[in-house]
Amino acid sequence: MITLTVNGEARDIAAPARTHLADALREHCGLTGTHLGCEQGVCGACTVLVDGQPMRSCLIYAHEAAGMEVTTIEGLDEDPVAAALRDAFNRHHALQCGYCTPGMMVTARDIVTRLGAVDEDRIRAELAGNLCRCTGYRGIVRAIAEVAATRPALPAPAPRPVVAAPAAPPPVAVAPAAALTNRLEHAETLALAPDAAWAILSDPARAVACLPGARLLHREGEAIAGEIRVALGPLAARFAGEGTLRFDAATRTGELRGRGAEGANAAEGEVIWRVEPDGEGSRLHLDIGWRLTGPLAQFSRPSLVRGVVAGLAADFARNLEGAARGQAPPPAPGLWSLLRRLVRGWFSRRA
Amino acid sequence: MKPVAFEHATAATLDEARALLTTGAKPMAGGQSLGPMLNLRLVRPERLVDIKRVPGLRGFTETETHLTLGAATTHAEIEDGRVPDVTNGLMRHVAGGIAYRAVRNRGTLGGSLAHADPAADWPSVMAALGATILTSGGRRLPADGFLRAPFTTALEPGEIITAVEIPRQPPGARWGYCKINRKIGEFAKAIGIATPTRLLAGAVEGPPTLLDRVEDIPARLPWLDPAAQRLAAIAVTRAQAMRDS
Ligand SMILES: Cc1cc2nc3c(=O)[nH]c(=O)nc-3n(C[C@H](O)[C@H](O)[C@H](O)COP(=O)(O)OP(=O)(O)OC[C@H]3O[C@@H](n4cnc5c(N)ncnc54)[C@H](O)[C@@H]3O)c2cc1C
Ligand code: FES
Ligand code: FES
Repeated sequence: MITLTVNGEARDIAAPARTHLADALREHCGLTGTHLGCEQGVCGACTVLVDGQPMRSCLIYAHEAAGMEVTTIEGLDEDPVAAALRDAFNRHHALQCGYCTPGMMVTARDIVTRLGAVDEDRIRAELAGNLCRCTGYRGIVRAIAEVAATRPALPAPAPRPVVAAPAAPPPVAVAPAAALTNRLEHAETLALAPDAAWAILSDPARAVACLPGARLLHREGEAIAGEIRVALGPLAARFAGEGTLRFDAATRTGELRGRGAEGANAAEGEVIWRVEPDGEGSRLHLDIGWRLTGPLAQFSRPSLVRGVVAGLAADFARNLEGAARGQAPPPAPGLWSLLRRLVRGWFSRRA
Repeated sequence: MKPVAFEHATAATLDEARALLTTGAKPMAGGQSLGPMLNLRLVRPERLVDIKRVPGLRGFTETETHLTLGAATTHAEIEDGRVPDVTNGLMRHVAGGIAYRAVRNRGTLGGSLAHADPAADWPSVMAALGATILTSGGRRLPADGFLRAPFTTALEPGEIITAVEIPRQPPGARWGYCKINRKIGEFAKAIGIATPTRLLAGAVEGPPTLLDRVEDIPARLPWLDPAAQRLAAIAVTRAQAMRDS
């Protein structure tokens, strides 16, 4: 007996190990919207979402899928992207006999959510694994292009996070922070003497209070736990995370490394800050590395994030100056200021 | 058609995998090559041992000189850059051209190498990059020569690939990749690869073959008929042009 989670519902089924997921869905769950064509991975008719990602249900065994979230065409009734696609398929005559349609819809939804506004050539390339004997594809491609162009805000598929347990003799272990894929540097001028700035920067509670949206939850030695709210356009996420915090007073350098997750989003990052004298005041250098996975990741293009970081860093710098004068830090920024930053990021990217 | 009856076992550790992989058992990673073969009854195992959750087969490590990728890393993870790329984009480009997204979400690097289909992408790419294949037997096998013959590798029975160690390409190092196939996502009819220092002809119905010059193809790939040799030459020439453009 295994338990499958299909369209949010737990189903206990007794199927032998050789039963592939498509048969389990059709024969054991009565969900015949999932079609079978080739049972070799070629035709795409059986494509369903497993943990939010399209997969061939003819090439995954029901026993493997136990414990994962399976979403079939029947489970997309309420999904806003699928609704937009159904409407567009209808208007563009993107189906005739309908045999390929469930797999087409699942693949189309993945194209729209993962890639957003893409051109017809890319849509054709992405659709290469879904065969249709009736329509000649034109209507399907147009329907997808139309929905993709609107890039609706939606629950995009959750990627399978890259995690490795430390165990086992062979060489593969946990990813080191050095592997962060995105980096950027930023500097802010502070109207504060280096020592005054460092006094706050080396006190985690005070420094974190200056960072909009961040909260320090716990600290023990170098280990800290906290959370930060990140909002980008229509997506908002509160990352709760753990990390290590180190200071070097001699060089006025601090280093924070951590990782955290919120729902489908996971973040991993490091910030190294350094205070240097600069005339009367000082200069705060930030060196930031990060990696995001999940829906938020589509916003992690460096030029875009640069705009957001520049905004956050400027707020941080002003709050730091305020804290040195004994002022309380302001509340986290509203969505409006974050959106403004996002737009700024877009423009600097295009400039 | 449906597969023969078999037992399904999941290995949580490498030791468990070793213990479960007795005669008649077959390791399974993404199942994207094994699945079709099972459905067609080309393979009739008594037991499938799911190895993709073994901790040592996931994740990656990076050093100054190498990236070591767990064998169960999926094509989609490489395509999306969810693991680091030390090849200036070559691996991401290749991953995106393997099969279809729904297959890439499950198929793995190690499974592709172990399956040893000469027409697959990774056996050629890893040989061209000078990668090293690490095994559960503690062995380090050069990727060049790992595929001995179609669907035949240097692995011992019961031995599994745990990781692949990929040399970091110098920053800015250029590459060229040419996969000739009838339709996007299909296996290659010919593969040409050009790295800064090497040329390779792949999908040649035998081991991917390193070359000094395109002109060496007839002498180095004597088992191919003249038409296939010409296709190999076209792929390698295009890869070279892409690298040098
Ligand atoms: C429609 C379709 C199109 C495809 N197109 C392409 C293509 O264009 N290019 C391409 O390269 N591939 C292609 N593939 C194959 C795909 O890339 C597979 O994912 C890959 O070949 C096998 O990986 P897997 O993890 O699914 O392995 P599995 O199917 O799980 O296993 C394959 C074989 O390797 C063994 N094995 C698996 N993992 C290990 C391990 N770690 N150590 C030892 N043995 C192991 C298994 O016992 C089995 O014999 C395609 C597949 C399909 C279904
Ligand atoms: S039935 Fe699964 S891809 Fe054709
Ligand atoms: S509508 Fe008939 S196969 Fe696509």
